[in-house]
Amino acid sequence: MKPRLTFGAAITAAALLALAACGSGSGSSPGSGGSTKLVFFGADYGTGPANSTTKYWDAIATAFHQANPAITVSVQTVDWTDFPDKVQTLVQNKQFPDILEGDAAPQFAQSHLLYPDSDVLSPAVLHNLIPTFLKDGQYQGTDYGIPFTTSTRALYYNKKIFAGAGISSPPQTWAQLQSDAAKIKAKGFVGYGMPLGSEEAQAEALLWFLGDGGGYLNSSGNYAINSSQNVQALQFMSQLVKAGDTQPSPGTTDRKDVWAEFAQGRVGMMLGSPAVIPIIQAAGVLPPSDYATANVPGKTGPLTSTLGVHDDIVAFNTGGHQAAIKKFLDFAYQDTYQLQFDHEYDLLPATQSAAATMARNPMFAAFLKNIPNSVNYPSKANWTTVQDQIQTTLGQAVTGNPQKILNAIQQTAATGG
Amino acid sequence: MSHIAAAGEAADGAAAGRPGRASGPARPPGERRGRRVRRRLAPLAWLGPAGILIAVVVLWPIVTLVQTSLQDITPIGVTIGSAGAKNFTALLHNPNLPSILVRTVVWVVAVVGITMALSLGLAQLFNQRFPGRRVARWALIAPWAASVMMTALIFRWMLQPDNGAINIFLHQLGILHQFNSNSSSWLGRPDSAMAWMIGVAVFVSLPFTTYTLLAGLQTMPGELFEAAKVDGASRWRSYRSITLPLLRPAFVVAVVINMMNVFNSFPIIWEMTRGGPGYQTNTTTVFMYNLKESYIGEAAAMSIVNFTLIIVIVFCYLRINNWGRQAAA
Repeated sequence: MKPRLTFGAAITAAALLALAACGSGSGSSPGSGGSTKLVFFGADYGTGPANSTTKYWDAIATAFHQANPAITVSVQTVDWTDFPDKVQTLVQNKQFPDILEGDAAPQFAQSHLLYPDSDVLSPAVLHNLIPTFLKDGQYQGTDYGIPFTTSTRALYYNKKIFAGAGISSPPQTWAQLQSDAAKIKAKGFVGYGMPLGSEEAQAEALLWFLGDGGGYLNSSGNYAINSSQNVQALQFMSQLVKAGDTQPSPGTTDRKDVWAEFAQGRVGMMLGSPAVIPIIQAAGVLPPSDYATANVPGKTGPLTSTLGVHDDIVAFNTGGHQAAIKKFLDFAYQDTYQLQFDHEYDLLPATQSAAATMARNPMFAAFLKNIPNSVNYPSKANWTTVQDQIQTTLGQAVTGNPQKILNAIQQTAATGG
Repeated sequence: MSHIAAAGEAADGAAAGRPGRASGPARPPGERRGRRVRRRLAPLAWLGPAGILIAVVVLWPIVTLVQTSLQDITPIGVTIGSAGAKNFTALLHNPNLPSILVRTVVWVVAVVGITMALSLGLAQLFNQRFPGRRVARWALIAPWAASVMMTALIFRWMLQPDNGAINIFLHQLGILHQFNSNSSSWLGRPDSAMAWMIGVAVFVSLPFTTYTLLAGLQTMPGELFEAAKVDGASRWRSYRSITLPLLRPAFVVAVVINMMNVFNSFPIIWEMTRGGPGYQTNTTTVFMYNLKESYIGEAAAMSIVNFTLIIVIVFCYLRINNWGRQAAA
């Protein structure tokens, strides 16, 4: 009796194992009985479980479900660092969400996976979106990306350090920035924090390129990454680094490191978005009177247009839930929710009405007024590939040969365009 | 060695004896056949779960990996179609690959070499009787027990150019003149970053290696050393002629397992430099991950190259091991 029992147990175990192995990988199917289940997948902007973005979306999903009992929305968010990997995996395994909040609308549109904006937003909501960001999510002339949250960049400077070094006003030109940085360095602080590490080298670099009349695209909208302006900007940056006016090794310094150091009161100047403010507040070293923001310095004067970054929502057509998605997005794009998000994470809204409300807050007004003429990243289908190469290799340009590195990036950009 | 072989034979004998014992008095032929079939199938029930596990956890990923390496996949993960050998040619023409391969060899040889050299000494030390030996042996486990990622992160923080503990210490000694300078940015310069990462890799490899060698040392009969002493051999001579040859099996195992571990090591480099600046601290394992961000197919091709290298290492391991056993016998 006993051997047979163990024999059976072993067979069962084997069967269970096989089952478990095969069990994963089946996708979710639309619910039966007239109810629809939407899958929402988004980036997490929080710093931990306490302010996780899941909470934000869950609250919207619950309120939405009460208003529309036939539709349930399941929410999942993933930390920004892991977000691209996770999305790659979902797409590769064809486990498409219905709604994705994050990045890269043109690439999804290129693979015919998306509903155009006009299919999933009512006209009133669509026309309330800030136009600069909306046109950015275009693929072949059709809008696919729905801007959800935005930010612009400015120069942050530590007023206390400036006063100590005898500097009366923030720099407006590169030359002023360098002489100020040198004075700050002499006091034992980092003059200018320059993050060219893989986290966000593309932002820091673009803000310098713009200061010289360069950028990632030329006036006809083609990639011009190895332009002479861009090379000269990098040459200026590299002598700034060599002079010791920045922190050491910009190529391996991430944005978050520089922001944290600034919040600790050890960096004189750096470029940042409103998202720096909560970091400064959390560190508790700099009172609001000790720091301020100014326009980003350029070669001969401050930038007239700064970098604007936006994260988009895209609606996948793979699940066929167009009507339900439209209902949910119209609901989620209410001003209350837009403002709640920006209040939580110190970012800027994507709708004109929410921006108008927010402009009453002086801390954000400076960032908001930059939106209409902000420069965004190229909205080209191969941009993420180009961006990835910028993140990995551009940091070497300030220690090595800028022309060579930009040429290599331009080559990648030109081949996949 | 002969000891183990004898024990193995004894076990085999016992196993072989069992069926004979189980066949009792004569039964009707049908029932007997049924029993026989079931008995034949019985091993399957025991091997089955392991077999399925190997198929699902080892073989299936390999098949998927090979498939992926032959496909054309967009950066966001949409499969367009077959790529033929395009991913492999793209990988072989990648301008960064040659220096990364050289660096991988340096990384593996340096980490394994230094680890083995230090471990030989440490094992010898821990084989001596001294007060507090038990505590010391426990303490050696710490780098092994701690998560490698955690260790790497702690080292990264200690090497912070502004206020890292190591930099503060060097500053107090007068070796480091200025914080936030190039010389304080250990992980920003490829050469010094590699040196520090090799150090961390050695640090986390020491416990396993030392314990493997210590186990080898403890099996050595004391009479041999006594005999050598009687014959007037010096300590160094008896170490070279008795300890090292007898230690060879343990040594070979430690080298090969370390080689595979270090070759596949990802967290140390990833946490300390992300392979940067540029690709200048990438090994092939880290490079595979870096490639994956935009070139999924090419990353799969890199994985296959890595996998092949590992198979070569395992093959060498098996050969050396065989050879080692013959030499010891």
